[in-house]
Amino acid sequence: MLRGSTSSQVNVSQLPDSSFIYDITIKELSTADSYMDGQTVQVTGEVVGDRILSEPGSSDCWIMLQSDDAGDDSEVAVFMPVTASESIDTYGAYGKRGTTLQVRGTFNLACKEHQGASDLHSDSVAVVSRGSVEELDFNFMRLVPGLVLLMVGSLLLIAFDVIRERQR
Amino acid sequence: MWQRFSLYDVRVIGHYLGMLVLFSALLMVVPFVTALVFQEWDPAYRYLYSIGIALVVGSLLRFCRIQPGKLNRQQALAVVGLAWIVLGFFCSIPLYNSGHYLTYLDALFDSVSGITTTGASLLVDLDHLSYADNMFRFMMHLLGGLGLIVVALSLGVFGKRAGATLYTSEGRSEHVVPNVIHTTTFIAKVTAWFVLVGTVVVSVMMLASGIEPVRAVLQSLWVAISGFVTGGFAPMQQSVFYYHSFPIEVVLMVLMLLGTISFVIYSEVLRGRVREFFRDIETRTTVIWMVAMVVVFTASLAASTLFSDVPTLLRRGVFVLVSAFTTTGFSVLTTNQLLTVVTSGAFLTLALVMAVGGWAGSTAGGIKIYRVGIIAKSFVSTIKEAVSPDSATVVVAYNHVGRRILSPSVVKEAMTIFIMFVITYVIGALVGIAHGHEATQAIYESVCMTSNGGMIVGIASPGMPMTLELFYILQMWAGRLEFITLLALIVQVVVSVIPRRRFKAQSVTENNEEIQL
Repeated sequence: MLRGSTSSQVNVSQLPDSSFIYDITIKELSTADSYMDGQTVQVTGEVVGDRILSEPGSSDCWIMLQSDDAGDDSEVAVFMPVTASESIDTYGAYGKRGTTLQVRGTFNLACKEHQGASDLHSDSVAVVSRGSVEELDFNFMRLVPGLVLLMVGSLLLIAFDVIRERQR
Repeated sequence: MWQRFSLYDVRVIGHYLGMLVLFSALLMVVPFVTALVFQEWDPAYRYLYSIGIALVVGSLLRFCRIQPGKLNRQQALAVVGLAWIVLGFFCSIPLYNSGHYLTYLDALFDSVSGITTTGASLLVDLDHLSYADNMFRFMMHLLGGLGLIVVALSLGVFGKRAGATLYTSEGRSEHVVPNVIHTTTFIAKVTAWFVLVGTVVVSVMMLASGIEPVRAVLQSLWVAISGFVTGGFAPMQQSVFYYHSFPIEVVLMVLMLLGTISFVIYSEVLRGRVREFFRDIETRTTVIWMVAMVVVFTASLAASTLFSDVPTLLRRGVFVLVSAFTTTGFSVLTTNQLLTVVTSGAFLTLALVMAVGGWAGSTAGGIKIYRVGIIAKSFVSTIKEAVSPDSATVVVAYNHVGRRILSPSVVKEAMTIFIMFVITYVIGALVGIAHGHEATQAIYESVCMTSNGGMIVGIASPGMPMTLELFYILQMWAGRLEFITLLALIVQVVVSVIPRRRFKAQSVTENNEEIQL
């Protein structure tokens, strides 16, 4: 580059670029130390539980994101606008697989805005996959073992009472 | 001379344990009905099956003795001592079959934790647990928090013959009202009242924060139960932190504190004797102890760069301190925060507060504030004796539902239990260290188990080493029974199993005389 060319000059007033994003798992985030505090992270996970408004009538809410990795149930609390949460079609619970979201935002090990909560303030939220509901049909045959045991137990109770009465 | 159990004793104990196992079948009806209401078919099958097993085994055990007669003290000790672990086994059956536990021992750990109101959980993926299974966890808390025997007596499970001996064998010396049955009924009514009010208040708050009505009501009921009986199980994995609600945290703190007040004091207050509350040795000891601990904890926590601001200290710090003092185990901190953000001083202060625990005659665990107060009074008495003339008679009095004189037997009981707790804390810590864990965490976890505090830091985790897990189960069991019942049971079992020494007729010839021995 020629001396004096503006394209090669260093701009000494430019601040350090803090847009480095950690693509991280929720498990790693759940065991993160203070190094991760204030860093921009990107995590992917299943939405579980409920959407909880930060205050009644507020335009911000909390959702819980659970790790997608097999055998791992680590979670991180995500603070996001209510409008962003409207892309969530299913909240994970018994018999329900929640929407999988990719969330990018700032991780706080102890958030000053939320009195020390460990949270992730979202900058962007994207749906990776829709949730699903598992339909389980009632199967009477599966009740049979329990019913049999109940009958046996009831007979034993009656037998006990009869024997006790006879002994009196 | 240790008394041995005879075959008759074993049969009577078997009969009464059978009654308790039948009672556990009744307990499982609640989650079974919950499963039917919410059409959770897999839990429905499981709970019906588990009810059947408990019904069959309980009925068979009753056949050990058709007419059991009145329980004597040794039999009552055995029934109470074994009840917790026997019920733990039956309650672990539906839990293990839920698929949320890595091993059967983890399920047993959780059921013992639930019944002893420790609140530590090894359940995997709690947020996908069925309503039925969650309902069962909190029913275990309700049963254990009130006391197995209290609930059983108030429902008439044992009939009229066994009341007083069983009640005192559960480690309860407080007779709230003169009659044991009335006492147990009173305890149940007070609990029901506070749980109901707590449920309504928290439900409104949860609804206001946008949680669906059914989930709001259920979760409110569960956290209200867990808070008042100072259990510690929460319906969601992140405990009370999940709700991100300062008002809910305040209500739960109030419930926890109410749950840690002795039921005897409730009885006095309801009779209009409010001054008894303020004059009681436990109230005064609590004030002194908690003021000191708040200062130490706050100062220590403030040294942390991330938890040093006042709003954080007030919100997170006060809540976990109350949770530790009441040995509930609710948390508004993540496990990671407990280990990385909270300073070691604050961490150990929490352990110390849990170690001492709450009030005697309440649902709280730990050494109990009453015993700490008695030991402190004993120090005062010792010092007074040291500085008084030989001819002086030193009398130290204290208030505990009336004015009482400090007697050697009261001090002896307090010191014995205090020492047993401390020894168990130390041994539990050593067991944790022997399994390769860091010392402060091992101490903390040991205290959590023995004090039934439950605010664990992760040493107790799914699939943990079996030896450590068994020891923690033993600690929870021993702490709930406050040692004496359990130790007495162990001694009696050992003595009963070891054959008697037979002294053979020996002939000794000495100077041609035979001496028969």
